[in-house]
Amino acid sequence: MKTIKSILCVLFLTLSFVARSQDLAPIVQNVNKAKDVSEFIQVRSKLERFVALQPQQWLPGYYLAYVDVQLSFRVAAKEEKLQYLSEAETYLNKLTELKETDKSENYTLKGFRLYALIASDPQANGPKYSGEIINDYETALGINPNNPRALVLLAIYKNDMAKFMHQTYGNFQKDLEKASAILADENGTSLVPTWGKGWVDFALNKK
Amino acid sequence: MQQKMKEIALLFLLLIAGVISGFAQLRTVEGKVLNEQSKPIANANVFIKGTVDGATSDSLGHFSFTTDEKGEITLCSRMLGYAAFTVQVPGNNSSALVLIMRPDNITLDNVVISAGNFRLKGDSQFGKMSAVDIVTTAGSNGDLYHSLGTLPGVQLVGESGKLFIRGGDSDESQTYIDEMHVLSPYTTSGENDPVRGRYSPFMFEGINFSTGAGSSEYAQGLSGVLSLNTKDVSPISKTGVNVSSVGMGGGGTQAFEKGSVSVNLDYEDLGAYHKLIPDRLNWIKPYKLFSGSGQVRFNPNQRTVFKTFIGYDRTTFVQQITSLDNPTTRDFGMKDDNFYLNSTYQKTTESGYKIFAGAAFSFKNQHIDNAVLPEDTYREKEWEVHLKTKATKRFTDFLRINAGLENFFRHDETAYTYSSTVHPDSISHSISALFATAIININPNLYAELSDRMEYTSINHEWNSNPRLAMNYTLNGIHFSGVIGKYTQLPENKYLMLNKDLPAEECTQYVGGMYYEKKDKIYRIETYYKKYNDLALQEPTALNSNGYGYSKGVDVFFNDRSLFKNFEYMLAYSFNLSKRKYQDYTELSTPQYATTHNATASIKYNIPALKSILGLTNRFASGRPYHDPTKEGIMNSTTGFYNSVDMSVTYLASKKIIIYASASNLLGRQNVYNYNYTADTASPEGYRRTPLLDSSTHFFYIGIFITLSGKTAYDVSNF
Repeated sequence: MKTIKSILCVLFLTLSFVARSQDLAPIVQNVNKAKDVSEFIQVRSKLERFVALQPQQWLPGYYLAYVDVQLSFRVAAKEEKLQYLSEAETYLNKLTELKETDKSENYTLKGFRLYALIASDPQANGPKYSGEIINDYETALGINPNNPRALVLLAIYKNDMAKFMHQTYGNFQKDLEKASAILADENGTSLVPTWGKGWVDFALNKK
Repeated sequence: MQQKMKEIALLFLLLIAGVISGFAQLRTVEGKVLNEQSKPIANANVFIKGTVDGATSDSLGHFSFTTDEKGEITLCSRMLGYAAFTVQVPGNNSSALVLIMRPDNITLDNVVISAGNFRLKGDSQFGKMSAVDIVTTAGSNGDLYHSLGTLPGVQLVGESGKLFIRGGDSDESQTYIDEMHVLSPYTTSGENDPVRGRYSPFMFEGINFSTGAGSSEYAQGLSGVLSLNTKDVSPISKTGVNVSSVGMGGGGTQAFEKGSVSVNLDYEDLGAYHKLIPDRLNWIKPYKLFSGSGQVRFNPNQRTVFKTFIGYDRTTFVQQITSLDNPTTRDFGMKDDNFYLNSTYQKTTESGYKIFAGAAFSFKNQHIDNAVLPEDTYREKEWEVHLKTKATKRFTDFLRINAGLENFFRHDETAYTYSSTVHPDSISHSISALFATAIININPNLYAELSDRMEYTSINHEWNSNPRLAMNYTLNGIHFSGVIGKYTQLPENKYLMLNKDLPAEECTQYVGGMYYEKKDKIYRIETYYKKYNDLALQEPTALNSNGYGYSKGVDVFFNDRSLFKNFEYMLAYSFNLSKRKYQDYTELSTPQYATTHNATASIKYNIPALKSILGLTNRFASGRPYHDPTKEGIMNSTTGFYNSVDMSVTYLASKKIIIYASASNLLGRQNVYNYNYTADTASPEGYRRTPLLDSSTHFFYIGIFITLSGKTAYDVSNF
């Protein structure tokens, strides 16, 4: 009887909580589905509320930084791009102080942010951040060699640089296939970053 | 059993009631978000504190959402570029709310355009210069000071290499690294051979260059301040080596989770270069420079940074000199040791105070044989200790305060020996200062900066107050700024050694300007008037402080990166009229270094097909005044104009190898900086005239930079 009571109490509390609050999982799904600025802004607002509510959780801050980077690609004004990228940097720096943060994912996102910074002004920022971006992706892969996001972004960057140097990056296809296979195995849970498939598709089309 | 069933049923009821209550009694919160001008703010994030209940405002600023929160709620509104806004909303009022948002502190703090100041920080929307920009500027030869020479307000003094700003002498400009003073920022060079900066531009991520009316925080700079900031964090472990036409070097950084250690060593020897491309100087022993530097950075957390920088260099050469007055040649032999240590601590507290503390030690030891006459020697030992602490805090959106105190302890001793007779001299003194600045944001488009620097100089027991007022107004994206400030600086040591009672030299500056930036174009114009008083003056009877003078002019700057892809060009023009009665100018006259017109046109073209960045710079300056003893008056003649076309190429041989090459004065013009006269009875005019030329017509440089470590590329910085 005591066990039944305990189970019911836990069920009561859980259901009450679920009913009263929103889950991060659908928001993360919306991040992965978002295409245009207004969709990203909507999902950004929700993530920002989660960060305010749970500042010690790394995933909301991580995804907020990711959305900021995505928005920097999509807004037209350079000043606004830099504002989003500056905020992304602030969140990424905060994540480094949280014990739960997946360091490999954090380094990948740092590199991705630099990629966006270069995209905002290739002429000025390309020479400035080239070294750091490679370092971030390779550090991410040093921590987790099977990080598909680091794999695909590093492959894209190396391929772009090889083209610039009138060379070819021989492992491009292999890296993309490896990243694609790992992404396919990811179970879509909201507890870890799951983005990246779009970049594999982008790279395959770009190739 | 029946009792137990009742308990279970009750629990079920509670469960259902609890869940239902979660969906019931929803309350609507709605209103609009406006800025201070009552214009709607779209995309603001409005939510109830402590919940995820909220909405994003639409293009009309409207928001609306439902919540089951009862009673009084705390409503928050957030928007990038605006200060977070919170308001208490009572339980009976959740509709027609109006939230007024103001620009946030960070946005306010980012207003960096003020008259006289160039902020050259890489990521700043206003900043356009980084280490890469510096080395790819043709004519800079990879040197920070040469590169700054292409900016408006900097006057071309080719034989010196130092910064001469807006009619001011070179010692009126000071260099700071991480807010700490650098006593001797330039290398030592031979006679009429331009100096270079001691420190590689790759060490710095922020370059703030004030060409006038700069912050009261910086001491002893009547004309300008160059404030350099090293990297707070160096996350990449890397090593690299380089070989060039003048030497070789190498170094690296080891990054740790919470810090890094960087080391760099360089060796220059111009012997081989001068054998291949002789210059006008007669080198008995070639110019050699060994330099080593290191930095330790420690970031225990995101809010705290410890940095220690250490640098040492030794310069040696022997140069044969034939003086006009003395036909006997002498071997001018230089040995120069320079040491610099700088340690800083920065912390941002939870309560928003930014605290800074630093200590720096500069030491210079110079030994010159045959300095002025054959068989003489000159020795100089000079050191400085600089201690500084300050705190910055934004108290409200309206007010930010920056205040601190600092001390300089200085010692300089010289000994001139000739015919076994030693003529020693020395001074030891200190400068103590208290500075405070209030930055007042009157409204988002108007801010004022009111500051004062109270300084006590022990050598002459003098107090000085240096008040400064800066105003900045933005209208339709155009920044208008104006500054009035008073600046003081002790006379040069050579004068203080002769007269320790000389008061501080004084300069009052009035600067006004406009700045506009749009679509990769920057327009800037500034006008200034500088009034000098109490300048050291060597009159026939005494050394006193009766000197005075003025400098006035206009600086114009235009930069365009939008003409076509991968192409950038920059135009800078400075007009200056400057006259002084000071030092050995016993009449009010234009100093020998000053030129009326300075202009620079510079282009950079990134050519992906060639994996190269091409730089081309044309520098022009009108003639320099000089004194011709065959004419009446002083500084009565003018040299021909200066012109130099310089080129540089940066070639990415591979991601690990960068080749940089530069050539100066492609057209081979003989630029004359001055004429020296000596009595010559054989000459019909009674004088013999010798032009002061560049030590060499051209300077060629080629360097190969190789990255050795695996995790980085396209990076020549070892720091």
